[in-house]
Parts: sequence; C-alpha cells; structure tokens
Amino acid sequence: MIRTRFLAPLTAFALVSAVTGCANLERSRDVSNPAVPGAVLAQQVCANCHGAGGSAASPNFPNLASQTGPYLVSQLKYFRSHDRSDPPGYEYMWGLTRSLTDSQIDGLAAYFSASPLGRQPVEGEAGQIAAGKRVFEQGVAANDVPACASCHGSGGLGNSIFPRLAGQHMDYLVKQLQVFQRTEQRSNPTTMPTGEIMKNVAHKLDERQIVEVAAYAQSIGN
Amino acid sequence: MKQSGRYNPVAVSRRGVRIGIRWLAMVAALLGAVQSAQALPLFNRQTGQNCMACHAGGQFPELTPYGRLFKMTGYTLGQRTAVPLSAMAVVSDSKVANTSKSLSPSTDFFKQSDVILATASVFAGGKITDNIGAFVQVTYNPYAVQNSDGSYSGHSNADNMDLRWADRFVDAQRDLIVGVSLNNNPSVSDPWNTSPAWMQYVPVPSPGSSQFIDGTTPYPGYSSGGNIAGLTTYAFLDRTWYGELGFYGTARGPLSFMTAGIAPRTTLRGLNPYWRLAWNREWGANSLMIGSGGMYARVYQDPSDPTTIDRFLDWSVDAQYQYLLDPHAVTAQLVFATNRHGYPNAQGGQVPAFVDASGNALLPSNFKDRSHLLRAKLSYVYQARYGGSISLFSLGGTTNTANISSGFDPGTMTITADPNATAPSLPVNGNLTGNPGARGGTLEAFWMPVQNIRVGAQYTIYTRYNGASTNYDGFGRNASDNNSLFLYMWMSY
Repeated sequence: MIRTRFLAPLTAFALVSAVTGCANLERSRDVSNPAVPGAVLAQQVCANCHGAGGSAASPNFPNLASQTGPYLVSQLKYFRSHDRSDPPGYEYMWGLTRSLTDSQIDGLAAYFSASPLGRQPVEGEAGQIAAGKRVFEQGVAANDVPACASCHGSGGLGNSIFPRLAGQHMDYLVKQLQVFQRTEQRSNPTTMPTGEIMKNVAHKLDERQIVEVAAYAQSIGN
Repeated sequence: MKQSGRYNPVAVSRRGVRIGIRWLAMVAALLGAVQSAQALPLFNRQTGQNCMACHAGGQFPELTPYGRLFKMTGYTLGQRTAVPLSAMAVVSDSKVANTSKSLSPSTDFFKQSDVILATASVFAGGKITDNIGAFVQVTYNPYAVQNSDGSYSGHSNADNMDLRWADRFVDAQRDLIVGVSLNNNPSVSDPWNTSPAWMQYVPVPSPGSSQFIDGTTPYPGYSSGGNIAGLTTYAFLDRTWYGELGFYGTARGPLSFMTAGIAPRTTLRGLNPYWRLAWNREWGANSLMIGSGGMYARVYQDPSDPTTIDRFLDWSVDAQYQYLLDPHAVTAQLVFATNRHGYPNAQGGQVPAFVDASGNALLPSNFKDRSHLLRAKLSYVYQARYGGSISLFSLGGTTNTANISSGFDPGTMTITADPNATAPSLPVNGNLTGNPGARGGTLEAFWMPVQNIRVGAQYTIYTRYNGASTNYDGFGRNASDNNSLFLYMWMSY
C-alpha cells in the first residue's frame, strides 16, 4: 500500500522530468554526456572546487587558471586511467573524469589554460619565500637538486608538460612534493615519466626545503 | 523483578564484555561485507567521488562548500546511475544514568543497554535530467507501534523528500544558481547544517532508553513538523547571497505520498510562508555563513474543528564556520531560535486539575507562549576517520500551567501516579514547573573505519530539564538522572 502510494507520484515525476528535461548542453553538469563541451563542464562542475575560471579560493584544491594545456590534459587522462592515485586524485577526480572523452579533456585544458589566474593572498612567510627562491632558481648543488626553473620556467610559468607553479597554492605544492617524495602515486617510468623525474628531485629535498620552495612558488605573481 | 540501581561490579563487567564482544563482532562483519561489496551510496555512485567531497571530514550529512553546490544545483552533477537507490541503517545502544527513579523502569527505559536496530532508511533519487534531481527518503522504525501485549511492531513512512529543478548561469561577471524545491519538511532544502532539518542528524531510536540522548535534546525546529508539503524557490548569487521563499500546506491529493505512512497527517490552514536568507563567504580553507530563517504556521489540532488552530512563529539566526584543509575538518555552528505559540482561544485561560502544595488552584493557562533556544556545536575530524564534537544547548521559555503534567492531586494532596486520582502525575517525563527549560551538553567521539560506516559514542549531560535541576517530575527525579550514553553504528550502502 505504502509502496503504491510512493511509486505512483514518483514515477509520474520521473516521467515528466524525462519528457520536459531534455539535455541542457549549455549548462549541463552531466560528466557522462560526450556532447557537453569541456568549457561548460569547467564552469558547471570544476568551478565548484577549483573556482570560477580555475582560480581556487581554497588551498585544498589547486588553481587551474593559466596552467599549461599539455599538463592539464596529461593529468586528466592519468585520473581517468587511475595511473595517478594520490588521495585527492582518487577521492575527488577519478569519479569526475571516468567518462570524459579526449575531446572534452582538450576542451577543459583549453578553457583553463586561457583563463587568467587572479591574484591571491601570499601564503608563505618572508623567510620561507626568500630561501625557497634560491632553491627554485639555483637548485641545491650539494644534493644535486636542479633548479625548478630549469623545467618549470624562470618565472615558474610552466612549459608544456611541466606545470606552471607560479601562484599555485602552497599547501597543494607541499602535499604534492610529498607524494612524489614518498610514494609511487604520481610516478611511473613508463606511464608517468615526468613524475619519475619529480620523484628523483623530491627525494633530494628535505621537509624544510619543500615548504620553502612551495612558499616561493606560491608567492610568484601574488 | 530485577532490582535496579544496585551496583554489582562483576555483573556489570561481564555485561560490558558481552556488549563489547557483540559490538566488535558486528563491526568486523560489517567491515567485511562493505569492503567486499565495494558499495557506495547513491550520490557517490553518481559523482564517483569520496564521501568527503560533499561531507565535511566525511561526517554525513554535514555539507562542504562543494556539497552545498551539489545540492543547490538539484543533485544533477555527475552521471545518472542505473539503480538510483541507497540504504542506511543505525544500530545503537542507549543507557540512561538513573533508571531507579521510575515506577516502571522496564517500560520507561525500554531496551536499556540493549543493542538494537534503531532505524533504517531507503533513499531514491539523484540526477534525473540535467535540471531535475531528487532526494527521497523512506524510513523504517522498528519500534513504531506498541502492541497490546507490550511488544513492538515496525512501520515505514515518508521521511525527508526534496524534488528539485535547478539551473546555473555562469559567466565572467556572475554565478547564479536558481531552483525550485518540492519538499515535505521546512528547511530540508537548506544547504547549511545549522538549519532545523539538518542540525539534528544522528537518527534517533524510538525506545524509551533513547529518550534523553543528544538527538532528543532541544534542537532548532519548525513547529509545523516535517509532515507537510511545500514549494520553495531559491537563488544563490556569486556564492555569496542565498535566498529562499516558499509556502507549505497539507500534503493532500497528489502530494499525499509525502506523508505516506504517517497518521494522522499534519493539517495546516491554507498556505504558510517559509523564508531563508544567508550570506556566505569562502576564503582560503575557510567558509562562513550567517543567516536567518523562519516560518509562520497555522496547524489544526482537530482538522474537523476550525477553531482548534495553533499558530506558530519560528525564526532563527544561525551561523556556521568551516575550516576544511585535508586532513583537518573543523566546524563551528551557532543557532539562536525563537518560537511563539498562540493557542486556540478556548484553550487559554484554563485552570489545571493540579493544585499547589497548599491546595490552592494554579494560575490559568497561557494564551501564548514563547521559547528561545541557544545551541552551539564544535566538531573536528582528522583524516576523515577520527572525529569528536562538543555541543551545548540552553532552552528557555514562558512558564505555562498547561504544561504541568505532575503536581498535587486535589483529592489526596499528594503527587501521585495513581491513574484513579483526580489529577494523576507522570513520573520520568512529568513537568512539575510548567516551564520547558532545558540545559546541558553532549560530548561525542566517533570513528569512520571506512567512509560509509561511522561508529560513535555520545554522552549527554543535563543540568536542567523540564524547567528544573532537581525533582523536575515531582517524584524526585533530577535533570542529571537523565544523563545518557549513546553508542551507535551508522551505515550507508
């Protein structure tokens, strides 16, 4: 009896919804519909955490604005294939990327790489930033750590597959350097070769240097 | 009959061990079942994300900024699931500090210290189209009806229901979410967890042993209850301003499914307004909301008699602060809620059957009552796995002799529970003062071994109950006698 009372109106609601609620491609949040453009998903889905245009207010989520296109494409594909398995990756990103098409991934990357990164509060302390600047620009010769700028660009603006670090949230950079340093979750000689490079670099940094270099990178442009 | 109130350390420790073993076995069995099935609730399957994406530190149902947007956009983010169903169950064990001050402990504190299936729910809904989604909950209460032989029968009924249409307009200058919600519980549509429908959130078991646990302490609420039908429309502009306005009426005709299984259903006079306004700001890992909400409701005591209308005006000011940066989740909540209750004219000015200690008549009952509640809660969760909270509550209000349910019987000039007395009193639940006041707090610790199981322990302390700290029921029961331990395991699937 109760079941009948529930089912009839709910079925009617579902049918009316199905008939009247056709796909709304300009403003859809359907991550499984290949017809929804990447730019629409960027605004309707990604912006919830990564902020409007990819400038994330919360340091829990990386800024995507002005990130390099090839890096964004590679990471979205790593999430989709589950090659990248750091905790935020599988907690937040595996599900959302599971049905994305290559074309949608290209669209997302194009949207965010063309989006300007807004200025954000500086997150590190002055001493950390100054020390991090030396590591970033000169490396740590004693430990054979190359300058970050050698791959990520002199201003940390990124270079193709090497991501932009300038303005990236400090907490995010610290956590990701720790992932490279302590795990295989972002590195694999075959599937994630650039991660393998970072793993080697991160191994040579100590905890303090990780925090300092992240503080400097975040301060660039802010 | 078993003597209560006598402390036997051997019996207590053996009983403790037995209960402990039973809980451990249950946790182990459930962990195995859930992990092997790799099952996730409905919204997880829709988004493919972990619980903690939408729930602060994974402590369902408290929402993160992302979870709020998921809700405001009509549960439409993600991909439609093949089987849009989820289930939830709570297994619990309650223990009231003092059961000796009762004429019938076995009924007043039914299931004291027994592990029980407290409640179970089935959910349906999620994404239906790009603009339409639903959250539909049907709940089973194993102790809904007491039979003539003293046993209990279970019963299912409509619980929270929220059917939505929503759209979101985003460009470089603005971000506007608009939506419409058809729901059966004022504020169930609200995205913040200081709203009346969502602040009280560990489901409460029915047996008498659970009558004083945290979930039964004073929480903000709308006097109409959640057994009605309403249509609200809302907007969220630039993730800053939230406004919602709607009207609620009796859930009749095609909307009667929203109150299925509930008898008698709540009958309202006409349409009753509900409103909500909130200011929201997110900066860094912080988010802050300051808001206000309210409702004016006219509720029939007897739908066949139009003169029996209770008029309620509830409004509240609330604030919620969250700090969410993995692995930390901190939430602070504060609500000040007021209630005005106008009684039907014929019910005001009535002299109660009880008399005072000198045999004089009590004051006539009020035509109107007011109450105000202050509630605060602070919680912390680490690694979406270990958490704890502390909450405080203080309820005050007008004294009304109509609320007196324990007092001097004019025939015997005693406080007596004898049903043949002119004015029998009520032990344990009785109110000697006519004042609704209650004060106290709850400490909680919980553990989430996997994201869809939460095991928790709460201890609720009372310093004031039914308007008094001591002898609130006229039979010598003190507020602190109601202190309660509540152990629970909350599972969703």
